[in-house]
Amino acid sequence: MIVLPSRSRQDGESARTMPTFTALLRSLASLRLTLVLLAVLGVAILLAYQSESWRSWPLAVPLAALSINLLAAVGTNGIFRRQLPLLIFHLALVALLLLVAAGRLSYLKGTLELAEGATFEGRLVTTDAGPFHLGNLAAVRFVNEGFAIDYARGLRRGPTRNAVSWVDEQGRRRQDVIGDQHPLKIKGYRFYTSFNKGFAPVFLWAPERGEAQLGAVHLPAYPKHELNQAQEWSPPGSRAPVWIMLKFDEKLLDPSGPSTFRLPEKYSLVVRFGERRVELQPGQSLDLPDGRLEFRELKTWMGYDVFYDWTLPWLAAASLAAVLSLGWHFWRKFAAKPWDA
Amino acid sequence: MSMERELQILWAAIVAYVLGGVLSIVGVVLRRHPERTVMGFLAAGLTLHTVSIGLRWARLEHGPFITMFEILSSNVWSLMVVFLLAYWRMPRIRATAAVVMPVLFVMMGWLMLSHPGEGFFPPTYRTPWLFIHIGMAKVFMGAMLVALGVAGVILLRRAGIGVQKFERLPDDKRLDELAFRCLAIALIFDTLMLITGAIWAQDAWGRYWAWDPLETWSFITWLLLAIALHIRVTFKPSPHRTAWLVVAVFVLGFVTFFGVPFISESPHKGAV
Ligand code: HEM
Repeated sequence: MIVLPSRSRQDGESARTMPTFTALLRSLASLRLTLVLLAVLGVAILLAYQSESWRSWPLAVPLAALSINLLAAVGTNGIFRRQLPLLIFHLALVALLLLVAAGRLSYLKGTLELAEGATFEGRLVTTDAGPFHLGNLAAVRFVNEGFAIDYARGLRRGPTRNAVSWVDEQGRRRQDVIGDQHPLKIKGYRFYTSFNKGFAPVFLWAPERGEAQLGAVHLPAYPKHELNQAQEWSPPGSRAPVWIMLKFDEKLLDPSGPSTFRLPEKYSLVVRFGERRVELQPGQSLDLPDGRLEFRELKTWMGYDVFYDWTLPWLAAASLAAVLSLGWHFWRKFAAKPWDA
Repeated sequence: MSMERELQILWAAIVAYVLGGVLSIVGVVLRRHPERTVMGFLAAGLTLHTVSIGLRWARLEHGPFITMFEILSSNVWSLMVVFLLAYWRMPRIRATAAVVMPVLFVMMGWLMLSHPGEGFFPPTYRTPWLFIHIGMAKVFMGAMLVALGVAGVILLRRAGIGVQKFERLPDDKRLDELAFRCLAIALIFDTLMLITGAIWAQDAWGRYWAWDPLETWSFITWLLLAIALHIRVTFKPSPHRTAWLVVAVFVLGFVTFFGVPFISESPHKGAV
């Protein structure tokens, strides 16, 4: 309960405004309102579940209203002064809410692909970020050192073990094996391996003018697109589209037993350019109108999901505070009377 | 050891549960108190059930968390553990077995109809979070089951069915207090389940929340629990109204646990 300061009686202005303000606060703090708002939130959650377009305002409005309701209650309802754990619990809920909101404004989610041996240079294939994303992804570097995945009978994917290396803040070269629930964490970004991975022919492209460049072309994901291991692409600076396809006869992943993701032992690369069709072995090359394309070797590529949300440790802390204070509150309440009904 | 042997032991466990459950119902109807025998049957059932789950675990090298058969079996097991503890420690509410056991019979029947074949244990399940998360969920449902038993007695009495049959139980007001305590415990463990689930999802799938059906329905269940507790402090409802709230939370929790995995093939949509 708010006790009005005695000075307000002398001051005509605040004597009139303070009680109305208090009355307003009291009605905002209504526990009946809490129930209505919690029910509205329930409906909003169902809508958000149905459709992505319902995941911002329809959730934000009841949540904001609940926060106002709660803060008004904290200001006016004496129970929060008498019961500290209850107060901590409810404030932790507000903190969680604010953190989730901050997270939604500043998160980043994206995907990228890296061939074995290639370095991540800050570029993503797809990006989805909050309007105030302030991370420094452009400065993040790491190298995909290759991966291993075992499959059980029926092509059931086992753990992914992806070796990665990077240079840490102190300038030391670091290595780790990531995969599944073990992401690589650099500068607040978490890089997760994904089920997306495949083969990547590596080419040396020597244009007629300019320097030769080494690069990999990522074929569609394997084994997901097992039957479509082809890709159309143009060498850098070239206007000519080239169609390539990886050809091999082996059964790499055998559904009838355990197997391991690996490169085919015997393969060739079919290259179609205009009317021409040639099959290249590693080391062989092909002359195109504006340069020479050499097929160097076959490698693998790994697809990664990247996630950034600086609020994660704070969310964990607020959650912990919420559940501990909730436990404390009920412990105190129940310890006062015996359990056997 | 073969799957047949595991199933035989499981059926034996179910027979023991059913005998214990039927005896407890008959006891209430005839106003007898065969409580030690009931406890003996339930404990025997639980022991056999533990052996059956253990054998399957050793054979498949993973716990009972994947197929509907496994989810039902491990939940019947954990609900029996919690209920047996309550039965043992709170002698005055033992007659609630007559309400609780039929719910478990439904689950056992469903268990017997579901396919005991092997499922796929995804790589993201190889983490202690699996046990922590599922453990919290099981305590939550266990607390709700005890609450349901108590609420059931309140409602039966009000319907005039069990006034004399349940006369040895405490009065409605005290049952109401007990149901409320169970709801409070349920809220704590439901909260822990959501938190640990979010931590695991962040690790396994790179996001702590993604509106998958199980996540969403669990959150709604949590919200309903909060609403139920708030209704209690706001309106101080009579015991039978609180009892209906308990039933509502239990039903929603039950549908979330066993209905949602039933419609999507893995416990969580993003799990594999
Ligand atoms: C989803 C969010 C919320 C949850 C999970 C929640 C949960 C709880 C719990 C568990 C209690 C303790 C009940 C008891 O000890 O019997 C409680 C009490 C209380 N809550 Fe909340 N609450 C939420 C939101 C709010 C909001 C928005 C308000 C704003 C008015 C509020 C105001 C109160 C008050 C005043 C009490 C004390 C009631 C009393 O003991 O007299 N709560 N809440």
